[in-house]
Amino acid sequence: MDARPHERPRQGHHGVVSLGPAVLAVAALSLVVAVCGGLLRACPATAPPGLPGWLVAGASSHAALMTCGFLGTIVATERAVAVGRAWGWLAPAASALAAALLIAGDAAHGRLALLLAAVAFLGVNVHIVRRQPAMHTALLAIAAGAWLVGDALFLADAGTPLPWWFAFLVLTVAAERLEMTRLRRHARGTRLQLAGVVGTLLAGATGASLPGAAGTIGVALLGAGLLLLSAWLFAHDIATRTIRTTGLSRYMAACLLLGYVWLAASGVGWIGLAAGRPWRDMALHALGLGFIVSMMMAHAPVILPALTRVRLRFGAAFYVPVALLHASLAMRLLLGMDDLLRRGVGALLNAVALLVFIATMAGAAVAWRLARAGAVRPEVD
Amino acid sequence: MNAVVAQDRIESCDPFPYAGPAALKPAIEAALRRVIDPEIAMSIVDVGLVYGVDIAARQARVLVTMTSAACPVVDVIIDDIWHELSRVLPETLAIDVELVWEPPWMPARMSDRAKAIMGW
Repeated sequence: MDARPHERPRQGHHGVVSLGPAVLAVAALSLVVAVCGGLLRACPATAPPGLPGWLVAGASSHAALMTCGFLGTIVATERAVAVGRAWGWLAPAASALAAALLIAGDAAHGRLALLLAAVAFLGVNVHIVRRQPAMHTALLAIAAGAWLVGDALFLADAGTPLPWWFAFLVLTVAAERLEMTRLRRHARGTRLQLAGVVGTLLAGATGASLPGAAGTIGVALLGAGLLLLSAWLFAHDIATRTIRTTGLSRYMAACLLLGYVWLAASGVGWIGLAAGRPWRDMALHALGLGFIVSMMMAHAPVILPALTRVRLRFGAAFYVPVALLHASLAMRLLLGMDDLLRRGVGALLNAVALLVFIATMAGAAVAWRLARAGAVRPEVD
Repeated sequence: MNAVVAQDRIESCDPFPYAGPAALKPAIEAALRRVIDPEIAMSIVDVGLVYGVDIAARQARVLVTMTSAACPVVDVIIDDIWHELSRVLPETLAIDVELVWEPPWMPARMSDRAKAIMGW
């Protein structure tokens, strides 16, 4: 990198950031539409006729918009920033395009764009494995493969893609946490245990997307894999150490540990589903909201500045949306198990928690600017 | 300030390989210790991410690595390194922060303090 005396180039280290704002804007739109569609699905009353097309698309493509249009685009953007190559942006751009097409009601092209996104994303992850051959990078590539399988099923309309989309997100988190466990002394068999968990999850996703008895066994295996992953994370993740620190580090650990509790709850939910219990909401949303969104809330204060170049100032307010998310999930999934009204109110409060989170991040960006303007070094930047 | 750079050149390996004026080393080390990995609340020096600092007549060259090639925070950390060094180095020195992947980061690179925090 060429640098003249004390003149830092304004672009990112790798120089390719121009697609970022547009891609992230579509990802955010995907989140909003998916949440509105999700609320429509959670509403105990019958939906009135004449709803706008985007809202209908949000309801019918809720899972695709949340797991792929929003989270898939964000994860692909993270990876594009990490590799720092222009072609790395193919995946998030295609994923964002897919989200826009799904929202516009063009499901056929939306599904095709999603498949292209996953192919490009797999290519990026293979590049990362070649740059750093290690178990955690290999696991990231396996997660990318799971996204590809889910998108292929979605395009072919053959079986449910949802277990594979969840496998993509769960394995991505597992890979990222495995990378952090290298900071701790490894107990014997740590990696072998995780390999067993990954195998269980993949076998579960394979079965769960099939009909009949294979589907039931797959759903149960998926639940077992999620339970085992939760146990592995509690045993080996650095969050059980960093919860004893302060500031942002402790906040992140709190989000992670709460997420691991919901991960176990979702495992129970999937096993219950296989046993014929009506625990679908627990299976899907303890995982999607309790675990995945909690991971997102944990990492957003670090990832958002990396993706947007907007710095954030940490404060106690960060805990407000986290508390609201987990309390409303408990209301929805535990108290609302046999009560549709409580479940609906819980779902509404889940959406409020996401809104409060976005507002908190925006406030943290303003607080950082004010702190800098006041020549006060931000606590965390 | 160039006179400072030309005098009392030392080479040391603690806590990272350093070649340059002895007078600048404490300030450079302090600056790099202010660059924090936010998730673990530890400096990049304690995590062992600094592979070397070489101060020449017109350039300060810093070699750093990351624990993961999939880490999107790399630009933020490099910006922080640049920002902190620019506060302590003579303005005539160009700051060149280079990201390297060889040799790969290993847990053995962590400081004793970092290992203690992580329960080693």
